[in-house]
Amino acid sequence: MQHSKLEHLLKTHHREAFLWARQCCYFDDELAKDVLQQCYLKILEGKAKLQHPEKIKSWLFSIIRFTAIDELRKLGKTESLEENYDPIILEDELDQRNYEGIIQRLPLRQREVILAVFYHNLTIEEAAETLQITLGTARTHYDRGKKKLKELILKSETLNQHG
Amino acid sequence: MANDELIRDFFLKMKAGDQRIPTPEFPEVKTGGFNWWIPLGIAATLLLGGFFLMNEPVPEPPADLIIISLQENENQEQQLIIEEKAFIDTWESTTSSLLTDF
Repeated sequence: MQHSKLEHLLKTHHREAFLWARQCCYFDDELAKDVLQQCYLKILEGKAKLQHPEKIKSWLFSIIRFTAIDELRKLGKTESLEENYDPIILEDELDQRNYEGIIQRLPLRQREVILAVFYHNLTIEEAAETLQITLGTARTHYDRGKKKLKELILKSETLNQHG
Repeated sequence: MANDELIRDFFLKMKAGDQRIPTPEFPEVKTGGFNWWIPLGIAATLLLGGFFLMNEPVPEPPADLIIISLQENENQEQQLIIEEKAFIDTWESTTSSLLTDF
């Protein structure tokens, strides 16, 4: 694909790519900007090649996610991939309007699938491609993530009503 | 479905809140591209090397033969004469005298 055409496609998805990078970097704006810069460099230097232009969004999201994982690893910010990993929820932090805080209570994989589907309007298949997991695994994370997120939303609502 | 509505509503509010987040400028990505200085440097070195090699004087090939002969000089003294030649006019076997003398 031509350099200029690729750059145009990247510019079209820039805002969404930045928001996804931010979500992959625990909502750290500066880190997200660095990650995005590295991704664009990889793409425009031809280190990452787009085979199917119609899949640009999941392809771009996948590059962003892997670059963010690398950067977070360098910074020593890693998170358990255990399915049963359940972060301790401090009730004070469960503010109904703190959407980012609530989302971060989900286990990593569930969070990624849920954000890809509900926030970025990807299909479960596209989310599976982005995360490089099987469709079955993506569906499992999707179902568990929805269930867990619903619990968290309801809990935050209850806390706000009583608080 | 009720679950999905609750979640969809949650994300709608989250997206509305994210509207306040400014989009960073599309970064000016300067790709390295192909560095033409490398092949140019190699070509220049080869040309320069070739130029010096062409101008270097070609040394004379070493003589193939060294002829050492014992001759009498005008004072009737024996002296060794060493000649370097690329060819030989006549050749006599070193043992041929044995055939004639005996």
